[in-house]
Amino acid sequence: MSANDQFRELIEAYAMGSLDAPEREQVEAHLAGGCVDCEKALEEARWLVSQLAYLAPDAQPSDMLKGRLLQTVRAEAAVRRTLPHEVRRAGIPLWLWAGVAALLLFSAYSAWNEKELRDTVANLEQQAAAQQAERQKLEHELTVTKLQAHEAMIWSDPRSKKIMLSSKDPKMPQLEAMWHPDMGLVVRGWKTPSPGEKRVLQLWLISKKSGKPMPATTFWPDANGKFSAMVENPPDTMSDTQALAITAEPMGGSQQPTSAPMWVGGVS
Amino acid sequence: MQQLLRRDVGAFEELYQRHSRIVYSLVLRILRQGSTAEEVVQDVFLQLWRNSARYDLSRPFIPWLLTLARNRALDQLRLKGERQRRREEQTEELPQIVSAAPEYEEALDAQRRAERVRSLIGSLPSAQKKAIELAYFEGLSHSEIAASLKEPLGTVKSWIRNGLLRLKEGLQSS
Repeated sequence: MSANDQFRELIEAYAMGSLDAPEREQVEAHLAGGCVDCEKALEEARWLVSQLAYLAPDAQPSDMLKGRLLQTVRAEAAVRRTLPHEVRRAGIPLWLWAGVAALLLFSAYSAWNEKELRDTVANLEQQAAAQQAERQKLEHELTVTKLQAHEAMIWSDPRSKKIMLSSKDPKMPQLEAMWHPDMGLVVRGWKTPSPGEKRVLQLWLISKKSGKPMPATTFWPDANGKFSAMVENPPDTMSDTQALAITAEPMGGSQQPTSAPMWVGGVS
Repeated sequence: MQQLLRRDVGAFEELYQRHSRIVYSLVLRILRQGSTAEEVVQDVFLQLWRNSARYDLSRPFIPWLLTLARNRALDQLRLKGERQRRREEQTEELPQIVSAAPEYEEALDAQRRAERVRSLIGSLPSAQKKAIELAYFEGLSHSEIAASLKEPLGTVKSWIRNGLLRLKEGLQSS
């Protein structure tokens, strides 16, 4: 048996990661020596091993997972698109101010040209106002994007704790929350029914010590029942919170719940 | 995949739609816990989104994705302390070497392939099948499998290799 044959016999198990350390090290040393045949055999063995995934019983991930992932990638793609704008929106360009200054200087000794100058300055001011409006719009977009990115970070950070909120009514969807010890708390839902006219949904933190609910935020699901509510600074820490609850409240929210919880989820 | 390299959200969504089921099935089979499996699947697809530029377009995508998902799920098993740390690499890196697509790969669509793989492995003696499953889904080494099944080490090695070769022959003849 040649050296290559000896290693070929180990290559499938190496691809699977099931070799014990001494044999694994032998194969790695052989591959590091640049054996083209064994490298090719390894590539094919890796393909073969990957086919074993089809032995797993068929299962479908939840819609919530897809929602979370798409929100994250959209936020990241938006940040990427917004960055070049940031460079552009750094304020009124210097050339514009230079133009104004030059024109003002010129007006000092060119009184006869005053009207023309006023028109030009007005035009420049109009441009400056338009740029200011554009800047405000971009700042708003950046704020929204940063908020989405912040939420995405909370959802993807391994330090965040996931909390499922369930309803007694089996027809109601399950909601999910993610609480990061430093970045805050996000609650999300899909197919959530509207709380009714002139009413909002309100999130409460139920204190572990007193058992009393503390108001956190109010929100509305959109026409499709989708919402994402973020609390950057929750009124209590995760370790001191027993549960999260959501009630329907009058517009503007309440200091104490005025209705029974529609969803509840244990924190610890 | 080329669109994904350009950070196209629509391409990512389509790719997720197409492959999330087999990835989730695999990860759930390894971790046996739905919420943890979803976290790993999320991690896998986010890694795909963020590091797509590192993917070699000349390589077949699905085996690469499944290898990445399996590695991540087995890492999670280790993190949970359910088995000892054995594979010391591949914690953060994408799989560096991706298998070449043998000519017969494209001939089988996902469903037919799943049926074929299940049929071929299902036809093996139950202990041999169990040894392969312990290696693939639990990430156990030969000696750990031998201890678990109370079988000689050499027998376990032969079972796994012969089982994989039988799978290869079966897929080639499909």
